[in-house]
Amino acid sequence: MIRIEGLRHHLLDVPSLIAKEGRVAVIGPNGAGKTTLLELLSGMDKPREGTVEVMGRRPELATVGWVGEFPDHTMLFSRVFDEVASSLRFLKVPVDVADRRTRATMGMLGRPDLLLRGTGEISGGEKALVALAAALAPSPDLLVLDEVDSHLDEASSRLIRETVLSSDQRAVYCTQDMDHAAAADLVLYIDGGRVMLRGPPEEVFASLEGTCFYPSMWRLRR
Amino acid sequence: MRAELELMASREGFSLRCRASYGPGVHLVSGAIGSGKTTMALAMAGLVPFDGDLRFEGVESKVMSLQFPEYHVTAASVDDEVRSWGLDPGEVLPRAGLIGRNAVDPFKLSRGQLKRLNLACVFALDPDLLILDEPFSSLDCRAKAKVCQAIGSRDGRITMLFSHERAMLPRVTTLSQISDAELEPLGAVPGSIGRWAGAPPYLRRALEHGARPRNIAMDDVEEALCATRG
Repeated sequence: MIRIEGLRHHLLDVPSLIAKEGRVAVIGPNGAGKTTLLELLSGMDKPREGTVEVMGRRPELATVGWVGEFPDHTMLFSRVFDEVASSLRFLKVPVDVADRRTRATMGMLGRPDLLLRGTGEISGGEKALVALAAALAPSPDLLVLDEVDSHLDEASSRLIRETVLSSDQRAVYCTQDMDHAAAADLVLYIDGGRVMLRGPPEEVFASLEGTCFYPSMWRLRR
Repeated sequence: MRAELELMASREGFSLRCRASYGPGVHLVSGAIGSGKTTMALAMAGLVPFDGDLRFEGVESKVMSLQFPEYHVTAASVDDEVRSWGLDPGEVLPRAGLIGRNAVDPFKLSRGQLKRLNLACVFALDPDLLILDEPFSSLDCRAKAKVCQAIGSRDGRITMLFSHERAMLPRVTTLSQISDAELEPLGAVPGSIGRWAGAPPYLRRALEHGARPRNIAMDDVEEALCATRG
C-alpha cells in the first residue's frame, strides 16, 4: 500500500493519496513529475515536506525494486548471474539461497539461458529483463518501473508488461504506452506536479477520451 | 532526390546487409531491438564504416537525430545549444515548447524536453535527407503528435524514420523491416501494409478485422475499420 500525506517536493504537490491497488500506472505529459514521484516511492530521494510510505514504512526502510529507463546505466556486473544475484547479496541473503532465487527468478521470466551470458553482450530488451529480474529477486515490497518500455520494441515490452501483470507483485509503473497503463488496477494522471485524475482505468480514461492519452486499442473498439 | 544503398554496414562486431532505394517521402524502417536499425541509420549518415555503395542524387544536406539526445549536446545553455546548430533560439524554442528556458543547462531539462529541443533543431534545419533514430522515445503523446506533423510537412524531401513506436505513427510512403541482419524493403504503402511483420498492435487488430487502411496512422486505421462496419 502507498500512502502520501502533505507532499511538497520540487514540482510535486500531493495533499493526500492512498493507493491500495496492486498495480498502479502513473501517466501524464513530459515534465509532469512522474519520475520525481517514483524516485520518492523508491526511497532514492526524500520528500522536502510531507510523508511518503510504502507498506506502512518509509520507502528507504522497505525493500523496493527499481527498474529505470536505461538498464545499461544501472548494471554493475559483467555477468548476468552476478547482476541478478547482486540485489540478494547486497541484502546479505546466504549465498546458496541467493543462487537458488537467482535461478528461480530468471526461470520465472522464461530466460534461464541469460544467466550464462555477459551483461555487455545481450540486447537492450534482454538488459531490461535482467534489470527486472534483479529488482524482483528479493520479492520487494514494491516494484517501481520508470518508463522501462520507452526504448523497447513491442515483443520486449510485452514480455515485461506480462511479467508485471501476471504476478502478485505490487508495482508502480510510469509509461507513455496508454495501452499498458490501461491494464493497471489504478491509474494516476499527473500534470504540473498534481494528481489530476485518480481511479480505475475505465474511469480515468473516460475523462481523457478525445485526447491523445486515450489508449489506442480502446479507440478501435468504439 | 534519391538515396541508394547497396552495402554491408558494421558496428560493434555486427554487420547488416542493406539494399534499397529511397526517394522523396517518409520511409519507416522497423525491426526488433538490437536488429540493426541504428546501424543502418548511422551508415546512411556516414557515421559508421561500410563496404559497398551509398549514393545520393540531389541530396545537398543531411542531418541525423540520434536516439539519445544527450549525445547531441555541445553547449552549456539551451540558447547556445540552439545556436550551435546555426539556428535562432527565438524561432526554435517556441516550437520545442521551451519558451523562457533559454539560460538553462540542457542537461537540467527532462529527457523528453531535451528530445523536443533536439527535434525542433533538426526539423528547423529542414535538410534534404533527415534521419530520425527513434524520434518518439521518451516523448509524451502530445509531443509525438507534433513530431508526426513535422514529419508530414517535409514535402519533396527524404525522411528516414527508424522506430518501434506502437501508438502514434505518421503517414509513410514506404515500409522496410530488418531481421536476421538484413534489410527487407517491403515497398509502398498501402500495398506493403499486409506484409509488415512489425505492424503496431492497433494496426494488426484492424487488419485481423478485415480493414484495409490507406496508410498506417491511427486516423487511417480508424477510418478503414469504420468502413468495414458499414
